[in-house]
Amino acid sequence: MPSNILDIKAVGKSFPGVRALHNLSMTIGAGEVVAFVGENGAGKSTLLKILSGDYQLDQGQVLLDGAEVSHASPLAARLAGFRLVRQEPEIVPDISVAENIFVGEYPSRSFGRVDFAAMRAEVTALLKRYGFAGLINIDAMGRSLSPAQMHVVEIMRALKPGVKVVAFDEPTSSLTSDEVERLFELIRKLKAEGLGIVYVSHRLHEVMVISDRVIVLKDGQQTGDLVTVKTDEAEIVRLMVGRELIHGFKRQETSRDEVVLQVEGLSSRWHRDISFQIRAGEILGFAGLVGAGRTELAKVIFGEYRRDGGRVRLLGRDSDIRSPADAIRANIGFAPENRKAEGLILVRSVVENAAMAIYARLARWGVLRTAQMVEAVGPVIRQLEVKSSSLSQEVGKLSGGNQQKVVLARWLAAGPRLLILDEPTRAVDVGAKAEIYRLIDSLAKEGMAIMMISSEMPELLALSDRIVVMRDGRLSPPIEKQDATEEGIVALALGTGAAA
Amino acid sequence: MTTRSKDGFLSRLTRFVGAENLSLIIALILLVLAVSSQTEFLFSSRNLFNIAQNMAVVGLIAAGMTLVIVSNGLDISVGSIAGCASVVCALIVTGSGTVAGGLAGGIAIGAVLGLVNAAIINYLRVNAVVATLATMSAFRGIAFLIAPEGRPVGVLDPTFALLGSGRFLQFGGFPGVPIAFAILVGVAVLAYFVMSSTVFGRSIYSMGGNPAAARLAGINLNRMRLWIYAISGALSGLAGVIVTARTSSGQPASGTQGLELEAITAVFLGGALLAGGKGSIVGSMLAVLLLAVLSNGMNLLGIPTFYQLVAKGLLLVLAVAIGQWRMAMAERRQAKLTAAGGA
Repeated sequence: MPSNILDIKAVGKSFPGVRALHNLSMTIGAGEVVAFVGENGAGKSTLLKILSGDYQLDQGQVLLDGAEVSHASPLAARLAGFRLVRQEPEIVPDISVAENIFVGEYPSRSFGRVDFAAMRAEVTALLKRYGFAGLINIDAMGRSLSPAQMHVVEIMRALKPGVKVVAFDEPTSSLTSDEVERLFELIRKLKAEGLGIVYVSHRLHEVMVISDRVIVLKDGQQTGDLVTVKTDEAEIVRLMVGRELIHGFKRQETSRDEVVLQVEGLSSRWHRDISFQIRAGEILGFAGLVGAGRTELAKVIFGEYRRDGGRVRLLGRDSDIRSPADAIRANIGFAPENRKAEGLILVRSVVENAAMAIYARLARWGVLRTAQMVEAVGPVIRQLEVKSSSLSQEVGKLSGGNQQKVVLARWLAAGPRLLILDEPTRAVDVGAKAEIYRLIDSLAKEGMAIMMISSEMPELLALSDRIVVMRDGRLSPPIEKQDATEEGIVALALGTGAAA
Repeated sequence: MTTRSKDGFLSRLTRFVGAENLSLIIALILLVLAVSSQTEFLFSSRNLFNIAQNMAVVGLIAAGMTLVIVSNGLDISVGSIAGCASVVCALIVTGSGTVAGGLAGGIAIGAVLGLVNAAIINYLRVNAVVATLATMSAFRGIAFLIAPEGRPVGVLDPTFALLGSGRFLQFGGFPGVPIAFAILVGVAVLAYFVMSSTVFGRSIYSMGGNPAAARLAGINLNRMRLWIYAISGALSGLAGVIVTARTSSGQPASGTQGLELEAITAVFLGGALLAGGKGSIVGSMLAVLLLAVLSNGMNLLGIPTFYQLVAKGLLLVLAVAIGQWRMAMAERRQAKLTAAGGA
């Protein structure tokens, strides 16, 4: 067994309200390919970002080739020999391939002049050594590159001298199967050269082909360290899932009859042939990986993004929603995933944020007194127990859970027939989560149709009446609550083909 | 008993003025003390009359600019719009002899030019600063083009001149209230009402604080922008009309150049944030008063105009820097709070 080239010891990392990594230890040997797998939010990205110096670790240490690395900055991590091949490489459009590969580290001559000759020679040698010589012209401009060529540039950046460990983050998401094969050849070559390889991917069949070991992460902890040849996809999925279910919470029974939203054959830039329906009082859960197109679907229905084809029927009538304003008039509400960027006006008060969507309804002749706003949203805010010093406090000064309640209060006050919730409990602490679940439940009980996008399995399983799974812009048939299992949903989301 | 009712009044006053504007009032008091210690002429009724009259033009533009800046925009072309309106209104008054026509024409041309600004920002997707920097030059050119031979257009109508230098409530030694100042007060009260108590005003705060969230809450940003810039343009046009009335001539440039700087400075001094979403009419108007007293004081003390230009530039930087510093402090407090709260 080769010596350890990367040693991760008891690493921990927390964000406000969330423990992203907990006491994580693992090793990677020279010439070994280790895959990291896990669901959304399991901690894979956080771990990569700590290794690459984007995040600082709170606890533990990282040893590279026996020496402790201070991952104080991305540059320090690079110099120490850890190189990350990012999923979406940053390519500068108006400089050449050679410059893109050396950007930030141009070889220099006297008076700070760039040594273009040395740079080109080095890039040519790199491309030749790793078999990409015929694929890419080193003088081509960044903007002219295909996605696969951009990937080559990103890989070459990583393989500049001094490299010890290369981490590939979802490397095959923009590659064709031929290109994937070529990537695997490269990885085998790097392996033979004695580098340590980290391979992060949702595509389990690729993991099975290329890796020597598989490390499974769940909720920031390691739940498995498996030798690839001695395991199978089913075992890996089993270790990825199985989070604790939500205790003490049970959905109330609701009558489902009237169809509120009916989508037939919807297509858009991101979607193909999407069909589903949600009845009054029903919660339809949307599962899937980050990037599968769930948020985009919510925005297409809400009129923020364009629909290219298909029909959207609201309460049995064809709807022609072209903007969020149209959607709100049609009695749809949407609580976006990213509260701070899309949900709230942080510099304005709790009242204003809660009343924003119903200004026009509250006003008479366009006149809207603060007192009218308080009257309309005050009871809702009290009902949700938003903890703020006063109704006129700035929303930016509230905690994450209370901010989310303000977003929900907005739609509660508006009383839509269809409410779209995108990750309703993201970055919300445990106590507030339970309150938000009860609230969603009572909204359904009152007859609201709810489209709930969530990446948290326990949440989906506990709240949804039916669950659909989105993968690469397509939607699975609905799974009834009693038939839904975490394994089945994850398998559909990953496309491993295991029985649902 | 008396102190309690006084407290109630004070706290109500504080709420109206806005806590963040108290520093502005303190600065104003200090300024008045400083100037009046050097010259007793500051409080002479003639001088107060002058200050009130001088405030009108900048004040009208600053009222419109408050809407623009709170919506997270900027309008640098306001001075040039006033120049165009000045010429147009002079041509109408001299051509038709109707004062009302001149007034309406000046305001209307301002609104139209404001719509042009908004259209460039909305549909050509040009950033507001660049768009209005471009129209600042273009509108000034248009003002010269419509003025016959590019020269000022003389207006001799005595009724029209009242808009600029007329007064009312004049008796004994009291010089009266300038009509132009009364117009400003009327506009400011209306603007205050619009910003604080209408759907339109509330939506301006929302879109300025976070355009993406405002759109997702159903606010039509493009339509809002058309209205906001049209109002800013119309008020600039009205300011141009007053300049015409005061100088008895339609001026393509003189009297309206540099107004954008003063109006923008006033709005930021009045508590608006560079990032939008904050600002108030009361604050902007207090800042206009402060600026008027400052430039009047410097004139009284015989400080040359060149120093005044430098001082105005510094003041704008200071006003925005204070706002940025406030934001940074608020963020730091927030970070501390989360660090303490989240374990």
